[in-house]
Amino acid sequence: MGKDLVQLKDIRKSYSGVEVLHGVDLALASGEVLALLGENGAGKSTLVKILAGDIPPSSGTLSIDGTELARLDVYQARQLGIRMIFQELNDAPTLTVAENIFLGQWPGSGGIVSWSEMEKKAQEILDRLQVKIPVDAIAGSLRVGERQLLEIARALTQNAKVLVLDEPTAALSSVEVDRLFTVMDQLKSQGVGMIYITHRLDEVARVADRVQVLRDGNSVLTVKNSEIDRTALVTAMLGKESEKNARPAAVKTSKPALKLNNLSSRLDYSDVSLTVNEGEVVCLFGKIGSGTAEILESVFSLRPVTGGEIEIFGEKFSPKSPAASAEFGIGYLPADRQRLGSFGIRSVAENLAVTCWKKMSTIGFVNQRTEFKAFERWAEALRISSRSGPTQEIATLSGGNQQKVLLARWFEANVKVLLLVEPTRGVDVGARRDIYEIIRRQAKESNMAVLVATSDYEEVVLLADRALVMAKGKIVSELTGDSVDAQSLVSASS
Amino acid sequence: MSKSTTEVKADEAKGSKSFSIPQTAPLIIFLLAMVLFFSITSEYFLDIENFKNILVALAVTGIVCVPGTFLMIAGHVDLSVGSAAAVSGMILAQTVNSKGIATGLAVCLVFGLVLGVINGFFVTIVGVNSLITTLGGLATLYGVALLAGNGQTVMMFGFEWLGTAQPLSIPLPIIIFAGLAIIGIVTLRRTSYGRSLYAIGANANAARVVGIRSNRILFITFVLSSVSAALAGAVLASQLSAGDPNAAKGLELEVVTAIVLGGASLAGGRGTLLGTVLGLVVIQVLNNGLILLDVPSFWQRIAQGILLIAAVSFDQIRQKIVSQKG
Repeated sequence: MGKDLVQLKDIRKSYSGVEVLHGVDLALASGEVLALLGENGAGKSTLVKILAGDIPPSSGTLSIDGTELARLDVYQARQLGIRMIFQELNDAPTLTVAENIFLGQWPGSGGIVSWSEMEKKAQEILDRLQVKIPVDAIAGSLRVGERQLLEIARALTQNAKVLVLDEPTAALSSVEVDRLFTVMDQLKSQGVGMIYITHRLDEVARVADRVQVLRDGNSVLTVKNSEIDRTALVTAMLGKESEKNARPAAVKTSKPALKLNNLSSRLDYSDVSLTVNEGEVVCLFGKIGSGTAEILESVFSLRPVTGGEIEIFGEKFSPKSPAASAEFGIGYLPADRQRLGSFGIRSVAENLAVTCWKKMSTIGFVNQRTEFKAFERWAEALRISSRSGPTQEIATLSGGNQQKVLLARWFEANVKVLLLVEPTRGVDVGARRDIYEIIRRQAKESNMAVLVATSDYEEVVLLADRALVMAKGKIVSELTGDSVDAQSLVSASS
Repeated sequence: MSKSTTEVKADEAKGSKSFSIPQTAPLIIFLLAMVLFFSITSEYFLDIENFKNILVALAVTGIVCVPGTFLMIAGHVDLSVGSAAAVSGMILAQTVNSKGIATGLAVCLVFGLVLGVINGFFVTIVGVNSLITTLGGLATLYGVALLAGNGQTVMMFGFEWLGTAQPLSIPLPIIIFAGLAIIGIVTLRRTSYGRSLYAIGANANAARVVGIRSNRILFITFVLSSVSAALAGAVLASQLSAGDPNAAKGLELEVVTAIVLGGASLAGGRGTLLGTVLGLVVIQVLNNGLILLDVPSFWQRIAQGILLIAAVSFDQIRQKIVSQKG
């Protein structure tokens, strides 16, 4: 381990009077990998944003490579060699690998880009990382993991000394993760210091020299690699054990509605078997990319199945198209409401009735009054508040109200199996409880089988009759009744 | 209940910021201004026969505008209609002369059907962008129209009634257009198919995810568009007593202009057929007025081009204002 690269001392940060970082220290030496752990909202992002000069700290000092600073701006941070690699790609997919590595700073003179020089230099950097990607390949044709390596390569062209990697493995396959770790080892040997933000505990032991855990804006634990203890890390992340009394009363049913037998889909998940009974709410819990959402997509014909079979009420079901799935009595709520869920510029009534136009029509004609009545009925039952009633554009509603409309569209269609992906994403806390209650009540009342894919353990605790935990495309454990708690969920999924 | 009232308040705050500019209001004002101007400057403008002229001229474009509006609402466009109408006029003239009216009309409509299937195939199955597919169709079919008559007009004998008959002293093309427009309005508002068009245009991905058979619906709409173009071509040929490869030149421009003027969004998801009809009236009143004032005919083209750009600019500005306020 080399000299000190970064020293953050007693960093505090307040947003409009609310302190979110309560005096955090952080140290990083050259050639060291520091894993930064913490739940959402623990303060990890705020801390690294301060380091990158994105936001100024309210108080505290920063010392980078021996230079003490009260604050630094983005430009200074770049000068000092601090680079951020985000989970989302920031590349130009239609340009070549070499162009991407030198994006915006193409070598050459007088505005003329020298391709030969650029490709030669790009090759040198890729060699340095021991990555075999042709420099003339189009970035968009590469896999996500390879494109991420390009971003690291780009940081290196600008002489990065400190690399902050914000959940870089979230979208990567295990092979790609291995490759990333190899690259990180290379960088270590070259004296680059790295801050590695992750949710995955298994990665921490493998890649980090030290682990620091943040919770509620405090640094609660810092340990060396050799002292890493999984249970201690989880406890540090979660704080006190979460209350168990929040669990809903379990529904006891025995008639299987949805059954998956050894279902597989190439790289996304494999050999998944599960049963959801009538009236039951089952949560598939796992990190993004663990296969939970992908299974639901397959059942609704949005992702190809490569093995195994799906049974619905004992009948074999092969997904053909979303329309066919819907006709079979399956409903699907996507995680990305804006892109896949709502028709933003159309009315709430239309957004609700869209699944039922055929059912609502008599001799081919949809009666608008039926549409309005359906909306009003659900608006009352689910407490959807829409200022100008059924004709209001859905995009003008709050997230929670929008989500209720999208749920109601499947309730109205009377589906027997409902698939929900991240059902409370982008929904404010108050409306969340409402939505859990609605889902549970509706499942019970209409004997609907509900399968939820979520990465939020709190959601599982509040919503599920039963929880299946997934990691890396496989179901790794099943929790029922009171054994469904945050501690077991997080521990099993890591 | 206390929770639900606070939520209502939150939505009220959001809701009060968004408002909608009445889309058609400026267009109606523009139309009234034109009517006023032309009735002062030309003594013939306010004549009942002149109104018939305007409506007949509008009817041919209007027939194509009905499915054209459907497509635009679903976020697509068919530019091949002008050339399709020209080819179908050529086909009609030739078959009527040799095989009679019934066969001629049938062949003409079957041609439209086949063309629609081809457009639909490329857009929905192959996945070519509809603008490109139908732009290619526009060029190809114009060549076919020239080829069909060796670049010449083909005279047609004994089939004037489709374009010129006046049952109850209303020109037949107007009756055809009015009928299609009414069917179109009801279809858009009241059928599962019509509502699905709005959904597809508003969010094509979401439409798929709620189980709308988007490809099937688009396919059908492309077929309707080409069949309507064939019908318009037949009406036009009947009016001229000839198949003229240049007769429907620029029809696609007029169709798109009318639809966009009428308030349909180029991005899809918004638009009404009544709006399109209003757009058609604006275009034809302008054309007619310019003719009455003896303005050289190429000015009509210039005016129409400007009108199209003005209409789209207006749509864009409105969207910007709405998104800022929303």
